[in-house]
Amino acid sequence: MTCPARKLGGVEAADEDLMLAYRQGDTGAFETLYARHKGPLYRFVLRSVRERGLAEELYQEIWMRVIEARGRYGVQAKFTTWLYTIAHNRLTDHWRRRGLHLVELAGHDAPAPAADEPESRVQGRQSLQRFAAALAALPAAQREAFLMHEESGMSVADIAAATGVGEEAAKSRVRYALAKLREAMADG
Amino acid sequence: MADRDRDERVSERYRALGREEPRRALDETILAAARRRRLRWAVPVSIAAVVVLAVGVTLRVQLEQPRQAEEVALAPKVMEAPAPAPRAAALESRAPAAAAPPIAARKLEAPAGAAADRAEPARRAGVAVGRISPAPDTPEQWLERIGKLRDAGKAREADESLAEFSKRYPDYRMSAVMRARVAPR
Repeated sequence: MTCPARKLGGVEAADEDLMLAYRQGDTGAFETLYARHKGPLYRFVLRSVRERGLAEELYQEIWMRVIEARGRYGVQAKFTTWLYTIAHNRLTDHWRRRGLHLVELAGHDAPAPAADEPESRVQGRQSLQRFAAALAALPAAQREAFLMHEESGMSVADIAAATGVGEEAAKSRVRYALAKLREAMADG
Repeated sequence: MADRDRDERVSERYRALGREEPRRALDETILAAARRRRLRWAVPVSIAAVVVLAVGVTLRVQLEQPRQAEEVALAPKVMEAPAPAPRAAALESRAPAAAAPPIAARKLEAPAGAAADRAEPARRAGVAVGRISPAPDTPEQWLERIGKLRDAGKAREADESLAEFSKRYPDYRMSAVMRARVAPR
């Protein structure tokens, strides 16, 4: 994750301090915070819904909720946990409306290999395609837990807090996801 | 996440999927919204602060009027401090306190003018708030000040002040003692 330096009192500012500074009106603090989290959050959303236009719409809505909620922000949890809680809630709303259609395998489009592409590269591409397909095929809750873990480095406890489940359930989701993804890699 | 739950091979393969980032236009939309929300919040607060300040100043001026009137009445006493140096006396004669009677008189539109004050709020606000001048004193206080100017030998100022007083209060009936005190000697 790219973490632009912004110092408060000589040390790099924590996310929570930046959010509190933004709450006080420091828009520069928000810019730093945004730069730190934009990539991971965007990929989290994109790989959850697998449709770029929709991902952009949801991604923007999540940040708008952060902006709207800044006045209520208090440091009761890590900023990352708070951010992904908002993302989780927005995605849950989305899936509820769509009936979980996006969990299906169909629609994963990867470019066809060129005729003169070396076989090793073709195999690598196919292997990556299988991995992507396996990720897309994961149950939404498992994929969500895996993506939070991979993209933002969240712990099991943080994932549990962001998704509103117990730690055992969160741990189990991550482990099931990892097992299925390993399996997809072994097939290749 | 505990280390035993990590799988570096899976992580590596996952990272190979790509590091997509949001489009710049999307970034700019969100950052602009963050700045706009800040401004939208700041403007009403600024307006509210100005309103509160204005009301506070107005209330304070109104509440402090009686005290300021006392201070104005005391001003000539300061001028008449014992044995002032000639230069200091000259400076004092040009000080605002010396001109206080006319200013006060202009503001005192009617005797016991509380009701009249309320009848002309705009004009009075211009004087009371805009100029932050002392509150008007009573005719008796004004005459007392003229008397003290006489005592101090400031005949010209006393004459001017008395003339101003007569214009302001043409029907005022002063006692013989007071007349003797303020009349040219």
